[in-house]
Amino acid sequence: MIKTDVIIIGGGATGCGIARDLALRGIAHHLIEKGDFAAGATGACHGLLHSGGRYAVSDPEAAEECIRENMILRKIGEKCVEQTGGLFVRLAGDSRRYRDKFLESCDRVGIDTELLSGARALDLVPKLNPSLEEAVRVPDCSIDPFRLCMLNAITSKNRGGVFHRHHEVFEFIKEKGRLAGVRARDRFTGEIKDLRARVIINASGAWGKKIANLAGHDLPMNLSKGSLVITNHRLTNMVINRLRPPSNGDIIVPNEAVCLAGTTSISVDSPDNLVVGADEVDIVTREAGRMIPEFNSTRLIRAYTGVRPLLLAEKDATDDRSVSRGFRIINHQDGMYSILGGKLSTYRLMAEKMVDTVLKEVFDKTVACQTGDLPLEGQEFLSGYPLSTRLKDMKDIICECELVTRKDVESVIDRIGTKSIGDIQHRTRLGMGPCQGGFCTYRALGIIQEKGKITCDESMGALREFLQKRFRGIRPALWGDQLREEQLVEGIYLNIMNMEQQ
Amino acid sequence: MKTGKYDAVIVGGGISGLMAAIDLTRKGRRVAVVSKGDPICCLSTGCIDILKGVDSPRDGICDLPENHPYHLVGAGGLDRAAGLFVSVMKEAGLSYVGNVGQNRWILSPGGTRKQTALVPESMAHGNVEENETLVVIIFKGMKDFFPGYVTAKFQNADVYEFDPGNGSTLGIATKFDDPAFQEDFFKWFKSQKISKGKIALPAVLGTKPQVFGELAQKLDRKIFEIPTLPPSIPGLRMFKALKTCLQDAGADLYWGRSVESVEKDGDAIEAVTLAGIGRSTRIEARAFILATGSFVSGGLYARQDGVVKESVFDLPAYVPENRESWFGHNFFETGHGIEKAGIRVNGSFQPESTGIPNLFVCGSILAFSETMKYGCGHGMAIATGVTAAEKCEDHLA
Ligand SMILES: Cc1cc2nc3c(=O)[nH]c(=O)nc-3n(C[C@H](O)[C@H](O)[C@H](O)COP(=O)(O)OP(=O)(O)OC[C@H]3O[C@@H](n4cnc5c(N)ncnc54)[C@H](O)[C@@H]3O)c2cc1C
Ligand SMILES: Cc1cc2nc3c(=O)[nH]c(=O)nc-3n(C[C@H](O)[C@H](O)[C@H](O)COP(=O)(O)OP(=O)(O)OC[C@H]3O[C@@H](n4cnc5c(N)ncnc54)[C@H](O)[C@@H]3O)c2cc1C
Repeated sequence: MIKTDVIIIGGGATGCGIARDLALRGIAHHLIEKGDFAAGATGACHGLLHSGGRYAVSDPEAAEECIRENMILRKIGEKCVEQTGGLFVRLAGDSRRYRDKFLESCDRVGIDTELLSGARALDLVPKLNPSLEEAVRVPDCSIDPFRLCMLNAITSKNRGGVFHRHHEVFEFIKEKGRLAGVRARDRFTGEIKDLRARVIINASGAWGKKIANLAGHDLPMNLSKGSLVITNHRLTNMVINRLRPPSNGDIIVPNEAVCLAGTTSISVDSPDNLVVGADEVDIVTREAGRMIPEFNSTRLIRAYTGVRPLLLAEKDATDDRSVSRGFRIINHQDGMYSILGGKLSTYRLMAEKMVDTVLKEVFDKTVACQTGDLPLEGQEFLSGYPLSTRLKDMKDIICECELVTRKDVESVIDRIGTKSIGDIQHRTRLGMGPCQGGFCTYRALGIIQEKGKITCDESMGALREFLQKRFRGIRPALWGDQLREEQLVEGIYLNIMNMEQQ
Repeated sequence: MKTGKYDAVIVGGGISGLMAAIDLTRKGRRVAVVSKGDPICCLSTGCIDILKGVDSPRDGICDLPENHPYHLVGAGGLDRAAGLFVSVMKEAGLSYVGNVGQNRWILSPGGTRKQTALVPESMAHGNVEENETLVVIIFKGMKDFFPGYVTAKFQNADVYEFDPGNGSTLGIATKFDDPAFQEDFFKWFKSQKISKGKIALPAVLGTKPQVFGELAQKLDRKIFEIPTLPPSIPGLRMFKALKTCLQDAGADLYWGRSVESVEKDGDAIEAVTLAGIGRSTRIEARAFILATGSFVSGGLYARQDGVVKESVFDLPAYVPENRESWFGHNFFETGHGIEKAGIRVNGSFQPESTGIPNLFVCGSILAFSETMKYGCGHGMAIATGVTAAEKCEDHLA
């Protein structure tokens, strides 16, 4: 039995942000996440650190939160934010009146803009559609969601916070009509852990309703999935948005060596087992192709989907107050709070408000929030290590696409004692390149095996699981060169290794 | 511009095109092979899969769906093609064992067993039962072979490690070509007191065909190779043997070249022009055989709009309608719709509804071959290659 002050359910940006905030205010806590960090919407988003431009016209309050948080995050999170800047491009046929409204609204909420001629915009991003009318420059950034979660976790762990990754909450411990704790299952070993705390925070995003149901509450929400595609190289060094009211496929974000484009919006019943439809991929590539024509001929290496929770009418919830239009905190009055909505860009603010609330209502304390003033700890490990130096140190390359060495893989295994291929991928970018792990996963699992972390049978199981997951990501983007690569990978695993379903 | 004149030109140097070319040279034809790059068999196990899931592939082919290309070959054609393949390999010093009437099993690098029909001599002992004792010899630093996947399946398995001073599959295989290195390995082997049982090694025992036989004799134990992830040494040995056989027969090989343009005389193809850096070559022939493979080799190209293009002659290609139907949702279930894509041919292996009298098509570019689903990759390639060559010979005669 583990006892602590606060239990956080969910290791997305919101949950990790809450852990860091609690740590800096000296409150003991445990976080439980059923996958790895960023396994939910956080890892399935564009990674756009919004300037707020996208919301300036429709939701000025949210826009204001974005620009404020944008300025804070670029300061505290240098190593996970790339200050790319962004453009809103107006193509032939896009409303001029909307442009005027856009400029006016940005001005009102304090987002710096600069109106650029088409020619100027093409100087900045040569691959833009040459027939664009004009563009507005805004302070958008690209942010690495996984690193963001990991860095927030480091601050927490440095101060005694405990993270249970790959643990799924499946039951609440109830006592005298209150929620006294949770029971979680280790997804590798099946082992069950009981945790008790004074308060439980449900930060499970789109799974929020499922968690609330486990506790015997309803949480009225709708789910909407959004799909994105990843290109095999970087087509732009700036974030590209379409200058029109938010719509399908109008954001392209550069990230490391690739670009992400999305998204769609389709209502779904459950946040699990989602697939990306061929039609969604077509919509996104078509729209992205209008802004950057080369998108139409560029190889896509993967497509994936994330789920946004949309809160319904407020009257059904026991107690709720809109701390902001963008997100909500709900006190279930029995020892649990839910925090829902928001954006990756505003995760820090959400965490701050959440911790303010429990400090006041549960712990009856006021301690000032410091998360916006102190830099994220642990950034020294992410040394923005340039490729040229990396190449010199390369020996025993395991992943040819992303240049990951055997030593890189071994050091992750040694450091975090992982058994999961996903953990290694996130930390080294193994398998994130064009072949999407088709070649290197067999090797990485072989290394985990050698290190004695898993049995050989388990690694075969893990390999199967990985290949199926990988296939789900690639399936919607299978034509041209990616289809060709896929048939090669099929040949390796289904022919040479004969892993076909028996 | 350079020029050449042939009886037949084969476009695509995979196992299918090479076998077609060999068959024609044996009939005294003047032949050329044009190939953009090295074929898929270099990535394969080097085994000839004819049809999986049955005892006898030879009998099994009649139960395939009626549009499967094997029906155009027939059991007799399969016998002739397999016979020619085995004899060509033997001439090159590479013995194959097995027969078209009986499937067999080999051990895979994932520890599973793979069904196939004809196997190189180096895998003849690869049919091990889980209760047998197995010895695995591995090579230090080799990144594409992890014995754990294999040993997990055996109750009794011992692993021994030899340091070859090189971690790449091709690097180690090349070292084994050197008698001095073989001797070092032999000395190490003797010093190890290796336990009883069959001995398995990753397939790196020499790029040359004779190395395996020499080692097996020296070690005086039942040894066999486990195929590895690409690049594959057994695949490479087979490919080199096919290529050498053609060169010895006087065929011209235009390697690293692809067809840039096609000239026609009415419906018939008269010549193709090959692209090359600073030079182009026009080659004329009385007949052409298309053997450019499927998507992996670029014989076919699938577009986002759901159209599949054939890359040399722009022949009409069959593909299931609607991109959504190309793939199922389970990676481990073969038989994805896209596997049916390809060129439809008539009983003479000529592309349907094109009216081209002197073009023949063979290998994995054929529609409805579904090589992954039926486990018929090389078998189908060899059988259709040789049969298409026979039809081409009828045309030339
Ligand atoms: C397609 C898409 C694109 C987006 N793009 C952007 C963008 O570019 N910029 C931006 O600012 N915002 C973007 N957003 C919004 C942003 O992604 C989310 O608001 C944010 O990531 C939510 O974080 P979270 O931590 O609240 O939820 P999540 O990241 O979903 O985290 C919830 C976690 O709870 C875990 N969990 C669930 N059930 C259990 C259980 N029983 N036990 C233990 N753990 C459990 C899940 O595994 C998950 O990791 C996008 C959203 C979508 C869907
Ligand atoms: C990883 C993998 C492993 C496999 N393992 C096995 C196995 O163990 N056993 C088995 O039986 N089957 C196996 N298969 C299947 C089998 O290898 C193939 O089905 C078979 O080799 C196809 O032969 P092919 O001659 O039709 O074409 P390919 O081998 O694809 O050859 C086509 C050739 O044409 C050339 N070409 C393409 N376009 C042009 C052009 N425009 N101009 C000139 N040349 C061109 C290409 O460069 C290539 O050399 C495997 C397949 C894969 C992908």
